[in-house]
Order: sequence, then structure tokens, then C-alpha cells
Amino acid sequence: MTSEASQRLIWDWTIRLFHWWIVFTIPMMWWTAEQGLMDWHRRLGMMLFSLVVFRLVWGLIGAWTARFVPMLISLRQLGGYVRNLTNGAHKISYGHSPLGVLSVFALLLALTTQISTGLFSVDVDGLESGPLAVLISFDLGRELADLHELNFNILCALIVLHVAAILGYRFVLGDRLIKPMITGHRPNADFSGKALPPNQVGSGALVVALIVSGLSVFAVLQAG
Amino acid sequence: MLKSQAERSQHFYPGETSMRQYDLVMKFSFVAGVLLLAACGQGGATSDASGDPAIGAVIEARQKALKDTGGAFKAISDQLKADSPDMARIKAAAASVPTLTDSMADWFPVGSGPESGFETEALPAIWENKDDFLTKVSNFQEAAANLNAAAMGGDAAAISAAFRNTGGTCKACHDEYRLDD
Repeated sequence: MTSEASQRLIWDWTIRLFHWWIVFTIPMMWWTAEQGLMDWHRRLGMMLFSLVVFRLVWGLIGAWTARFVPMLISLRQLGGYVRNLTNGAHKISYGHSPLGVLSVFALLLALTTQISTGLFSVDVDGLESGPLAVLISFDLGRELADLHELNFNILCALIVLHVAAILGYRFVLGDRLIKPMITGHRPNADFSGKALPPNQVGSGALVVALIVSGLSVFAVLQAG
Repeated sequence: MLKSQAERSQHFYPGETSMRQYDLVMKFSFVAGVLLLAACGQGGATSDASGDPAIGAVIEARQKALKDTGGAFKAISDQLKADSPDMARIKAAAASVPTLTDSMADWFPVGSGPESGFETEALPAIWENKDDFLTKVSNFQEAAANLNAAAMGGDAAAISAAFRNTGGTCKACHDEYRLDD
């Protein structure tokens, strides 16, 4: 890399928007459910659904650090990465660290479970239901609603672990992870000027991911 | 290239405080994790079914009737969401509710609350404010009768309004007299 490019793009804007929208929406989802504001719960839930579909597509065709296959491959370095963490030789990762990959997969799985159970959930009185609940029985809808509640606890626990890890990296390792998730960039020096894959948003991939996401929402609204 | 060990410790390890910080962060995340799990996992309490079997039968019967009522409401709500609601299904479901809930006022004899030893979400407030509770029961029965009448009329907008109204009377009671899960 040349010296004028002192900053390197780590997280493309779609990833950052996805991340912070989820940070904002999950407390809102909890709050609207607690308050019984189920119209808003459904609206925000459908927005989350479209974002998660986008993210899953982005994991296949999106920017480099968002992709699942390189993440999976990096898991081979998990042992060495953890050893470095514990013996004081922490190295900054370009994108998700191998440990972060586990966190990403766990969080995405929990989010996907939360959203898909929510689409089919029915409340105890049969008055409120997710957009796809018409396709299933009251009993099954109730069971999925119980799962929806149970999985929310799992999601909470994973979020606590995630935030604790961010704090751990900040205060134990001196590695600031929040700023790059806002600005998207880290100093090139963090990577010792190594040549790394580019991370820009491709407009073709963006259009495809947007179309798949939009079609999914449309399909749910049609089926429901 | 990697930085030298000395450079790296300067960069990432703020001197000798690091172990203390490490301990603090570890303790913090442990406590935070435990607190959050405790906050999230406040599940329903189960009690052993060692009480009077007659009371147990009353509790079981009202739970079944209320669950069937929930099923009927879902059937109506499903149809109201559809582009062209199936009126026959709405009528059948709306007609079942007054039958299911006809004797609701008798479903809560003294002793059938949480003190019964059976698992129930009925709160003691039912027996503390019995008059208000019974008013709310009859409000619901009236609304359910109106819903049935609207269903027989066959006008989707009128059914929808009557459905919302009935749902409101369910909620009015459940907010005060049912354990929030």
C-alpha cells in the first residue's frame, strides 16, 4: 500500500448500518413486546428480517470481511489465535478474528432463529400473531412463541458475551474495536502495510442482495 | 512484519496494570452475564400438583376452555388478515366462543388460585376484587356475543371491529388478573 492510503476499510457501510440498526432495534423489539405494541413489534421485526436476509446474502457475495467462506477458513487458525491472546501476542485481525467468527455465527444463528420463530408466533390469547402464523395451528404457534421467548434469552446471553469481549479487547489488549465499526477504518499501520483483499461495496452484489431481501419480505407478506 | 515484543507490549499492554484490568474485566463480564441471565430467565414458577383433585379439575377445565378460545380467536384473526376471509370459518369460530365461555363466572371458585398447589396463572387479585373481576367477565361475554352477532351478519369491517373490541375485554382482565409471563 502507498503511504497516502493511511487508513484501510475494514467494515463496509452495509455491515456498519446492519450492525448499528440491530443494536438500536433489539432493545426496541424487547420494549414493544413488553408494552404490547405488537404493530410496531411486527413492523420492526419485518425490517430486521429484511436486514438479516441481506446480511446472509452479503455473507455469500458481499464485501470481503463480510463473507462466510473466508471466515470459516480462518477458523483453522483459532487455536493459534487463542494461544496468542493468552500469552500476550495479540495480533490485529483484518475483519473478524477467528474467535470473532464464532461470535458472528452464533449471533446470526440466534437472530435468524429469533426472527423465524417470530414470523409464526401466536400470543396466548390468539389475538396477536406473526405474519406467517396463518399457515400453522394455534398449538404450533404457541410452541414457536415459547421458543421465541427462550431464544431471546440465548440472544441476550450472546450479546452480553459480545459486549464483554469488546470491553476485554479494549481494556486488556488495548485493541479498540468500536471505532472501526463506526468509521469503517483502521490505520494501515495496524497491518504493517501488508497487501490485503479490498473491501469495497460492489454495486452488482449490492443490487442482488437488495433484490433478494426485498423479495423475501414480499413473499412473507404474500404468504401471510 | 510483526512488531518487536517491546513495541507490542507498549502498544497493547498498558504496563503492570494489565493483570489488574484483566481481572476486573473478567469479573465484570462474569457478573454482567449472571445478572442478564437472571433477568432474562425469570420463567414461570411450577408447583407440585399435590392439592385437592376437584380444584385441580376446575383449573384444568378453565385452562382448556381458555386455550380453545385462544384457538378460536386465532382462526378469526387468520381470516381477517386474508384478502377474502372465509366467512364460514369465522362464523364457526365466533359461535364457539360464547359456548366455551358461558360459565366463566364459575371458573374461579375460592381456593383455585396459586395457593391450590396447582400450576395456574390466576392471580390472588381475582378473589380480592371479585366484583370487578366478575364485571370484566361479563364485559367479555357481552363483547363475545356481539362478535358472534357480527360474524352472522357477515360484514368483514364489523367483524374486525367486534374482534378488536372483544380482544380488549380479554386484555382488560388479563392485565390485572393473570400472571405476566
